[in-house]
Amino acid sequence: MKAIRLTLSSIALPIMLWGGFAFASSNAPAGMALIDGGVFKPLFRSTADFKEVAVKPFYLDVLPVTNEQYLQFVRANPRWQRSAVKRLFADESYLKHWAGDLELGTNASPDAPVTFVPWFAAKSYAQWSGKRLPTTAEWEFAAAAGYTSADGETDVEFKRALLAWYASPAQQLANVGAGRTNYWGVHDLHGLVWEWVADFNTAMVTGDARGDTGLDRQLFCGSGSISARDVSNYTAFMRYGFRSSLKADYCVHNLGFRCAKDL
Amino acid sequence: MKTTLAIIPLLVVSSLPAFADSCCAAKNVPACCAKAEPAGTTLSDKSLYQTGSTWTTDANKKIKLADLKGRPQVVVMFFASCQYACPILVHDLTRIESALKPELRGKLGFTLVTFDTKRDTPEVLAKFREIRNLPAANWTFLHGADDDVLELAALLGVKYKEEANGQFAHSNVITVLNADGEIVHQLVGLGQDINASVRELEKLLINTNATLE
Repeated sequence: MKAIRLTLSSIALPIMLWGGFAFASSNAPAGMALIDGGVFKPLFRSTADFKEVAVKPFYLDVLPVTNEQYLQFVRANPRWQRSAVKRLFADESYLKHWAGDLELGTNASPDAPVTFVPWFAAKSYAQWSGKRLPTTAEWEFAAAAGYTSADGETDVEFKRALLAWYASPAQQLANVGAGRTNYWGVHDLHGLVWEWVADFNTAMVTGDARGDTGLDRQLFCGSGSISARDVSNYTAFMRYGFRSSLKADYCVHNLGFRCAKDL
Repeated sequence: MKTTLAIIPLLVVSSLPAFADSCCAAKNVPACCAKAEPAGTTLSDKSLYQTGSTWTTDANKKIKLADLKGRPQVVVMFFASCQYACPILVHDLTRIESALKPELRGKLGFTLVTFDTKRDTPEVLAKFREIRNLPAANWTFLHGADDDVLELAALLGVKYKEEANGQFAHSNVITVLNADGEIVHQLVGLGQDINASVRELEKLLINTNATLE
């Protein structure tokens, strides 16, 4: 085991130095990290899908949006207050852990990630802050990084930590930033909450143009799943399944968001 | 009827100028007011017409969804070069239209929104409509920005995905909106039994008859 780690870090070190160099020369906005572009290989695809999606360099929030930050947004945009929100955009659970329209209360720590927020609100928050939601490809690309390399698949320690999180039942939400940063300097992409992406409704299609033939039948359990690109990537399976079950007005206890921005 | 409708708003405005803006909030104001009111001010919590996005029609006209207000709409999302599902989807819409009593047919709109923002320009959409003999009077095709298409799909519960060959995988959903833009009925799948959709539309069309003239 030790030998493997040594080998890994000897590969990772030059990459880190190079990566660190890139960071130094970039002017990422406050609270955001530069994610170098690359190629995102979708975990699931039908024969008709893109094999690879090019991801252009972009900025990503280092931390998920917190209750406190969301409170500022709600103050500035009263239409997003709990009692004022239109049912079209948020279901009945909207901010239900808050004590009031403008009061967090004891169930919502100011520094914990905001949850019980719908996609519409996340999108609106991002626009309000001059940003946007990341795409699935961007989010997955950033989240695929391990602790020490842009490709977490080779990072044994990272993969083990991931599985440990996905295997453990949800508890009281921790504050943002407690988790270890990944290669890009981003916290909490795993281990805290699920996050909305701009194109969550492209995650999986049912009853589609081709009557589901050639589609992601392999999404589901059993031997069918071996046609996924990387069968050991259970956590990506779970994210795809989760996204595909969402509707844009859903407010869920463990679903928050963070923002992205073009360079 | 027409004269009555024209007179009442006049009276409201001339005798109570201070209240003209908030006329519709008052409970005993006749239903006419909704028509005089600019779109967007009297929308219900569940109205899709609350979205502010701007679209281009196949007649190259810029509209907001709220401009569809006033008569029930049958809405689908599609793309013009679709070889398999969309022709069936459009056929389902014409089936629905012909199943309605002739006197009701002109009182609803069919709105088709494209996923294919790159290729389905207003011109392409106009051609699509013409080839299929779908009258411009009540068939509208919309082209929008990627982000707005995504949002409308989210509102309608439609999922879609662009494929490497330029086609789109998408769910087939026919949505019936009432005159206020609320979803009252959805038919999922292709070539389904349209009876429930037709009944739902008849109910709406009978109820909204008065506001149509």
